[in-house]
Amino acid sequence: MTLSIIGRRFLQFVPVVLGVTFITFLLLNLLPGDTAEAILGTNANPVSIALLRKQLGLNQPLLVRYWHWLEHALTGNLGSSLITQQQVGTVLSQRVPVTLELLILAFLIALVLAIPVAVLAARKPKGIIDRLGATTAMFGLAIPNFVLGLVLILLFAQHFHFFPATGYSALGSGLGPNLRSLFLPALTISFALFAAYSRMLRADMMQQLAQEEYVITARAKGVSEPRILIRHVFRNSLFSLITIVGVNFGTLIGATVIVESIFALPGIGSLLVSSVYNRDVTVTQGVVVILAVVTVTVNLITDLLYLVLDPRVRYGTV
Amino acid sequence: MALSRYPTVLPPMLAERVSNFRQTAQWRRSLDIWVPAGILILLVLACFFGPFIFGLPGPNAGSLLDARLPLFSAGHIFGTDAIGNDLLSRALYGGQISIEVGLGSMLIGFVVGGSLGVIGGYRGGILDIVIMRLLDMFLAFPSIILAFVVATFLGANEINVIFAISFFTVPAFARLARATTLQLRERGFVIATRLLGARERDVLIRHVVPNVIPSLMTYGLLTVAIAMFIEAALSFLGLGIPAPQPSWGSTIASGQQYLSNAPAIVLVPSVFLFTAVASLNSLGNALRTRIESQ
Amino acid sequence: MSDQLSSRTTDSTAAVNPVQVDLAGDRTSSGAPSPTLLEVRDLRVNFHLQRSIVPAVQGMTFSVNAGQTIGIIGESGSGKSVTARAIMGLLPKKTAEVLGSVRFEGKELLDLSDREMRQHRGKNIVLVFQDPMRSLNPTMRIGTQIAEALHSHQKITRADAHKRVVELLQMVRIPSAEQRFHEYPHQLSGGMRQRVMIAMALSCGPKVMIADEPTTALDVTTQAQIMELLRELQRELNMAVVLISHDMGLAAMYTDEVAVMYAGRVVEQATTKRLFKHVRMPYTRALLDSIPSLDHPSLEPLSVIKGRPPDLSALPPGCPFSPRCHFAQHKCEESPILETTEDGDRFACWFPL
Repeated sequence: MTLSIIGRRFLQFVPVVLGVTFITFLLLNLLPGDTAEAILGTNANPVSIALLRKQLGLNQPLLVRYWHWLEHALTGNLGSSLITQQQVGTVLSQRVPVTLELLILAFLIALVLAIPVAVLAARKPKGIIDRLGATTAMFGLAIPNFVLGLVLILLFAQHFHFFPATGYSALGSGLGPNLRSLFLPALTISFALFAAYSRMLRADMMQQLAQEEYVITARAKGVSEPRILIRHVFRNSLFSLITIVGVNFGTLIGATVIVESIFALPGIGSLLVSSVYNRDVTVTQGVVVILAVVTVTVNLITDLLYLVLDPRVRYGTV
Repeated sequence: MALSRYPTVLPPMLAERVSNFRQTAQWRRSLDIWVPAGILILLVLACFFGPFIFGLPGPNAGSLLDARLPLFSAGHIFGTDAIGNDLLSRALYGGQISIEVGLGSMLIGFVVGGSLGVIGGYRGGILDIVIMRLLDMFLAFPSIILAFVVATFLGANEINVIFAISFFTVPAFARLARATTLQLRERGFVIATRLLGARERDVLIRHVVPNVIPSLMTYGLLTVAIAMFIEAALSFLGLGIPAPQPSWGSTIASGQQYLSNAPAIVLVPSVFLFTAVASLNSLGNALRTRIESQ
Repeated sequence: MSDQLSSRTTDSTAAVNPVQVDLAGDRTSSGAPSPTLLEVRDLRVNFHLQRSIVPAVQGMTFSVNAGQTIGIIGESGSGKSVTARAIMGLLPKKTAEVLGSVRFEGKELLDLSDREMRQHRGKNIVLVFQDPMRSLNPTMRIGTQIAEALHSHQKITRADAHKRVVELLQMVRIPSAEQRFHEYPHQLSGGMRQRVMIAMALSCGPKVMIADEPTTALDVTTQAQIMELLRELQRELNMAVVLISHDMGLAAMYTDEVAVMYAGRVVEQATTKRLFKHVRMPYTRALLDSIPSLDHPSLEPLSVIKGRPPDLSALPPGCPFSPRCHFAQHKCEESPILETTEDGDRFACWFPL
């Protein structure tokens, strides 16, 4: 039962990934702005532009070009940068770990803060923690991350000198400096995540408390309110949390683009920005494809996690 | 087995427990709608008419002599930016663009995405699958990255930014419209109308569409907020509204390097952006709770 | 029949229960006169909603002794379940105003703090719900859910709790209890789920059990099995039972006393024997007539109570049943007094049958 669901999800996964790569390819190749022109400059000799176009295979039909690209991509060859001539795959492999570390850190900060706030808010609706949480969440959802990032730099880096303002210290040069260099950017990203998670969790728990019969059963058993909240309500809300983590992942990725630029972190977000500035189409394409594929994969994983963890789905009811 | 009996009249000793139930006044309960709505109306009026009413200088009319004036300077109440332009003026003119981009991309999403979702959801079958799979692929891209790529390669200007953000709003609206339509399709009155042999188009227009619109409209408010965010982010990165034109995002970016000695450049547009987005979010949430509880 | 129910057989524990579980403790020792366990006096519940106040229960009075069963009977929305939850202290404090008196072993429950009340809930007074599917947490193993009741009221090791839960599952006749312990609610049938709910209720040796439509969600065969199980367990543990139901047939078979509720108030209350011998209130009559029975020729259509139960926030003046009553006269526009006969039966009607 469950196996067939998992199988079906995987089958849906392949066309979505293909479609995503194709759309990326289409967008980058149909939109105005010729790669050959970009490399040689707009004042270049039309003959040499035509020559370069031929060299790059740009005069072939779009579908053929996509096919070639896909063929290469499947063997791990995403082409080479038009500017630096580096292999896109190599560049990505240097950049991805930075972004990954940043995301994991942001995600952890958000969860560690959101869970207790949500539980305490659900325990006392309209209490101090609930109100504080709601206000913080409102700010979290309405302050753009680039403003927040700037404010954090001003406060903690330039004023108090707790953390470096920009730059990245690799894990190889010690965990301490590494975490210090990532803390402010991770905090910037986690603010909006905290807002989303804490509000969602609170709403989900409140709904269960108000509507679910098993909450009343637990009360009728004489189970204490805090225990009901943790053992029954929060436990069941975790399933919704898994879903929301998947849904919000795209936003999370979007945030890294901006935050990495502000904090000058060498991740794939800042790589995307620089490649777009330089019209480095192969790199842009590589980054966008990676990001989209990762987003689709994360959604698949959260779906599957939900299937594996929730006994209701696991045994084929619901 | 005698069961215990009681006289019908109860002794007065059964003291009543004092109740402390308060009825909240009607006007207080609708504050959550009127406050953000009022702020938004004020903001729109200020952005479009404020510059004339207050006789503000143009957004690019500053002189370098006045550069980086602090808040509450004479003649420039919110100070000036790095090249001496009045920050209030830039914020209001930038607000116009922000509002236009927000509304524009929301409307495109509303009309195009809403129709696709309703048709797909109502008709079902292959058409539905094709539409939804295609739109799902666009949703797989983080919204800002899609906008980012499209805007850059189209060339940075207001119309293209709207167009770029619509790549996100169209599938988002379609999804919501489809989900709502699917629910409606199973509801008694729609089934009844269909069984009575009403023409499909009539059922759609008279029964489905009017019931889908409210939830799309509340979602629309949130979409405007998201679109404003994306516009500001694009402009912040220098890929949105091109340079001399004022935009909240680009003004914030220009203030980045003067953060410690002229914070007003970042502060003023940030406060405007925050107010707009926060009001839109609160209004959207308040309306959604209202609709859900009905 | 009612005598049979209330007479206690001291050896019943051994006879009925294949597994020796000492739940009832010293209460099974016979001899002492059966004490009044639950006493409800003039219980009133008002719900304070945004725009209106809904009087859901108006002046409920009854009491139950150990080993006895009282039935609270009425249509849906008559205030039965609200009564049950008010007794248990389970109504939301923010909207529900509970007045009157609920005493357990002479102690006022409505004055207790949440903390004090919690020590009674699930231990002394327990509730069995109507829909066992919704009443069990779908993501928790049933064994864990039963064990939770044990842990809430006593210090007990996990291993001991596990042992007790398996015993309880056997006691409510769940086959292969050891395996069932680890299953989730949706893996069980409806009847099994209700048995789990009953095991959960019995876990701490309760003195009063409130069964809120315990068999409504079940099919007829399972219904009978569950009712028999409840009856046996009641005898074994000498519990006082409040049986809440819409089913007059069930009340006739399993109760000693019946209170009929309509629109939040008691309209007739008597011992089961006397009530079925002599109905006074037209509403009770109507409820009885709507039961299909073997005495009725099957071709004759069942009588139906016309109209709908009234909207509690906009009750008609006078007797709330009068708009649907065949015998209603002008006088019924005044509220009838709840009269008490010399037998102690009570009814609220100007024109008793």
